Amino acid sequence: MKSIRNILATAAIALAAALPAAAQDLIVAAVSGPRGVDGDVWVPGSIESVVNVYESLVRLGRVRGPDGQMQIDPTKVEPHLAQSWKTSPDGREWTFTLRPGVRSFVGNELTASDVVFGWQKSMSQKRTGRFISEASRITNVEALSRYEVKYTLSEPNNLFLRALTHYTPMIIDSREALKNASPEDPFATRWLGANTAGFGAYHLSQNRAGEGAVFVANPNYFGGKLAIQRVIYREIPSGASRMSLLQGGQVQIAEELSHSQLRSLQSDTRLRIGKHPGTGSATVRMNPRIKPFDDLRLRQAVLYATDFDAINKAVFEGLGERSRSILPPSIPGYVKAYTYEHDPGRAKRLLAEAGHPDGVDVTLEYTGVFWWEEPLVLQLRSQLAQVGIRVTPSKLPNTVFAARGAIGKRDLAFATHLANTFVLDAGYALFLSAHSRGSSNRNDYHTPELDTLIETAIIERDPAKARAAVERAQRTHAADATFVDIAFPGTFVAMNACVNGWMWYPTNRIVWRDLSCKR
Amino acid sequence: MRLGQWVRAEPGTAFGAMLIGTFALMAAFAPLIAPYDPTQARPDAVLLAPSARHWFGTDPNGMDVFSRLVYGSRYAFGVALPALALMLAVGLPVGLVAGYLGGWTDELLIRATDLLRAFPTIVFALALVAAVGQGLGAMIFVIGLLDAPLFARLVRSEVLALRRGTLVESAVVAGNPTWRILLVHLLPNCAQGVTALAAFRMAWAVRISATLSFVGVGIQAPTPEWGVMIKLGAEHIVTGTWWVVLFPALGLILLVLGFNFVADGLSRLMDPRHRAGVR
Amino acid sequence: MVLRRLVVGLPAVLGVVLVTFVMVRLSGESPVHLLAGPNASPLEIATVTRALGLDRSLPEQLAIYVGRLLHGDLGVSWLSGQPVLAELRDRLPATLELVALAMLLGGGLGVWIGCRAAFRPGSAFDHLVQAAATVTFSIPIYVVGLLAILIFFVALGVAPAPMGRLSMAVLAPPRVTGSLLVDSVLAGDLAALGSAAAQLVLPVGCFALIVAGPTVKHVRAVVADALASEYVAYARACGLPDAMVRRIALRNAVVPIATFLGLEFAHLFAASSLIELTFAWGGVGQYGLNAILQGDFAAVQGYVLLLAVASLIVFFVVDLFVWLVEPRAKTA
Repeated sequence: MKSIRNILATAAIALAAALPAAAQDLIVAAVSGPRGVDGDVWVPGSIESVVNVYESLVRLGRVRGPDGQMQIDPTKVEPHLAQSWKTSPDGREWTFTLRPGVRSFVGNELTASDVVFGWQKSMSQKRTGRFISEASRITNVEALSRYEVKYTLSEPNNLFLRALTHYTPMIIDSREALKNASPEDPFATRWLGANTAGFGAYHLSQNRAGEGAVFVANPNYFGGKLAIQRVIYREIPSGASRMSLLQGGQVQIAEELSHSQLRSLQSDTRLRIGKHPGTGSATVRMNPRIKPFDDLRLRQAVLYATDFDAINKAVFEGLGERSRSILPPSIPGYVKAYTYEHDPGRAKRLLAEAGHPDGVDVTLEYTGVFWWEEPLVLQLRSQLAQVGIRVTPSKLPNTVFAARGAIGKRDLAFATHLANTFVLDAGYALFLSAHSRGSSNRNDYHTPELDTLIETAIIERDPAKARAAVERAQRTHAADATFVDIAFPGTFVAMNACVNGWMWYPTNRIVWRDLSCKR
Repeated sequence: MRLGQWVRAEPGTAFGAMLIGTFALMAAFAPLIAPYDPTQARPDAVLLAPSARHWFGTDPNGMDVFSRLVYGSRYAFGVALPALALMLAVGLPVGLVAGYLGGWTDELLIRATDLLRAFPTIVFALALVAAVGQGLGAMIFVIGLLDAPLFARLVRSEVLALRRGTLVESAVVAGNPTWRILLVHLLPNCAQGVTALAAFRMAWAVRISATLSFVGVGIQAPTPEWGVMIKLGAEHIVTGTWWVVLFPALGLILLVLGFNFVADGLSRLMDPRHRAGVR
Repeated sequence: MVLRRLVVGLPAVLGVVLVTFVMVRLSGESPVHLLAGPNASPLEIATVTRALGLDRSLPEQLAIYVGRLLHGDLGVSWLSGQPVLAELRDRLPATLELVALAMLLGGGLGVWIGCRAAFRPGSAFDHLVQAAATVTFSIPIYVVGLLAILIFFVALGVAPAPMGRLSMAVLAPPRVTGSLLVDSVLAGDLAALGSAAAQLVLPVGCFALIVAGPTVKHVRAVVADALASEYVAYARACGLPDAMVRRIALRNAVVPIATFLGLEFAHLFAASSLIELTFAWGGVGQYGLNAILQGDFAAVQGYVLLLAVASLIVFFVVDLFVWLVEPRAKTA
């Protein structure tokens, strides 16, 4: 039976791949097919799938940008699967009323118990979903009636509503999922790792590891008929191949092309390049608890020795956007906090003051996760050498890097990192990278003062005070000089010119629901 | 035989020796020959085509390819020579002992070499280096250890052949201690075979160290090693950037070829039929 | 004879598995933190460690692994979450196709040229052939692949893009054997056959070149030896015609040549990983290589086991062949 299923799967993908004439198909060349489709368990391709299969109670607002295209408005939150909500006076209870008539792929209607199920599942898995839930101070989620669901918070906070726009905890078709549950696996997490049961625009129809997947449009989608009826998500590990397929018209979207490739495609009129700086900047982080980075002057010397513009030009082809704060510009509350510019003379003086007049030897650790890590490390090394900081690059396997960056260990003294904030909330973003319990705080930089500022930013109900805390947190972080924050590599999407409607989302993933392709 | 005669009689070997010599000189005088610092990343010189300023062009980090090629010869010899030393240091004594004393040392040697022969060396080398760790030392260790049994087997068969003859008998009768017999009487007689094998294994050592770096274990950036350079260049071939790959590839091919030609010549030298001129 | 080969070969296979097992576990790259995620508490780390079986002692883990092995369970790859056996089985035909074709082409060419050279020892042709063989012998396999792509795809534009076994625009035939050539013939799909063949040209060509080099040298040496032997001299002295003399020499060369080709075939399996990497082939070689680099221990063990078993099978086939051809010859 299994082999017949394999034959069908291959035929389906191949068949799908050979029907580009169908205007409702979209073929995507991606680095990896989805190795899993559970938003709580990150594997390559999982987020790309989850943002298209599962949708949330609320979503970020939309506004028409200066170029006439629709874009995200992070200052507003609008109803989506929930049609309205009300808050208790103390801000600790939120009751959402769901939109009636929202149906999943298999035809089940969205009810409050689906929301509860998804939240309980995330809490049981104790991963991303739970992290977000706890950051938003959610203590309980319960169904009040068929269409009413109530969230109880331990304290009111500014993050909660925005955090609901995140792709996890997911809102799952619990009737469908529970068919595959068992006493040891009450939330069907095993089944949900490989199958989808959402109320969103698309549904995973076939998936073959190493080849790709096919997603079909949800015929019952509450948002109406979709322009793209089928998405063929093809796994093409080589960037050169993806680019070639896009140029040849065999795929309509090529993901993850390098900057030099993008630059060479800019003049191609058959293509359209969507771009946005994104929320993750390429950084090299110093751990202030490990020598010699425990000395502020040495950290400042590193910053003054860095020629940010030269690196941007060499590594990102000038296409990166210089970062000016730990927060990305798209988050409300962002201020230009960084004050460092390239000044080798000043760097040398600071180095001598810190007790290293003859220079110092350091190791810079990185991985192969991002394509820019090695080129950036090599450029930085040359620049630091000019002021006497002698860098030994050391490439670590991904597994080792993860182990050493984990909470409790955190012994990477000088290492690359890029942290994406998927929730456009200042408090949350600061929490991730600068709070003692932040999961992206790989270089273990935190102070009690900063922790307090960040917590204020999250729970302070007076917007002016919250904003002040956010600004002070950014400036404190900048003054403590632990990040060599180079630039935002940017999110770029290379598409065939026929593809319309692409919008950037904080997840940096493509939402197929927005797209249409006129051939 | 005079040099001119020898070159005419053995053109291949002479050519090989010339190649090895050229790269050896390159390695020895690298700082004098290379116009640029091989590991200095230059942001304004990324991926430049070959020109008067950069004879072989520059790589994606702005480093001069010619300078890196020149310094790369240091790494080629720097891995192959110590690895060879390790092969000899381990392989020769083991082979001598196994061949002369026989018994369980001999059995063990046979089993070990059979195991190694059944096993694809590239995978073994890869897994070993990935396990042992990055760096030059690990590579030398792995390469040397993997080839040592070959030398041991060679020496063992030579010793077995010699044992049947009168050389050993007379040495024993004369009252020589075992170690003296091994070192003074037996070892020199294996010299020719060992030398020829050594040349072949040097070729292989240069190749496999580049392969390991190409795959991503062993030596890493920004070391100007040919395998690392080829790996970096491979990603850019499809867009037409040919120089980053071509030059280190040629360097690698030529050095390995040199060792192989010399090794061919040496083994032909040893073959009695060839020496006697019989066709 | 089967039994003898098994008795000799099985310990080798087991030894290989054991060594790989120890090596991979000792490399210190535990995937636990990567899998558990950055927010994991010590409890979650412990859970994931237990799920992967890494909390037991090394001998215990080995015992469990061998036990599962006897039931045909090669474990699960932590990288992909799939059973290793299934992943290997999916990718094996791609590698087999490549290796078999390269062996046929390269081995056949090598034997033919080697013989021709041996029949004219000392001639210009002989010297040229030997030098050429040494040259191909000196080029690492991935370099051949890269140079071939550079010349035939980038510069001349005659070869298709090096991105896998089939062009994107073509339908893959229903999978019966896994070999695209065979399957497209079975399905009567000419477009797929054409595309699959076109994609095979460069990788097989490069691979065959790599095989031909050492084959030429070895065959030439063996046949030349045979021609210089005493019984051939005797045959010549008896006045037998050249063609017959050559046939006698060849008959005696068959065994060492077959043994050599068997060894080459076994080595090709491992070497294929580099060709697969260069041409994005998606076979077991690429899979194994990736597994080694990522520290995916179950996959590495499975791959190594596959190689060892393949070698065993090849040696057995060679033994069988030798026994059929030359019943008097003692197995080497």
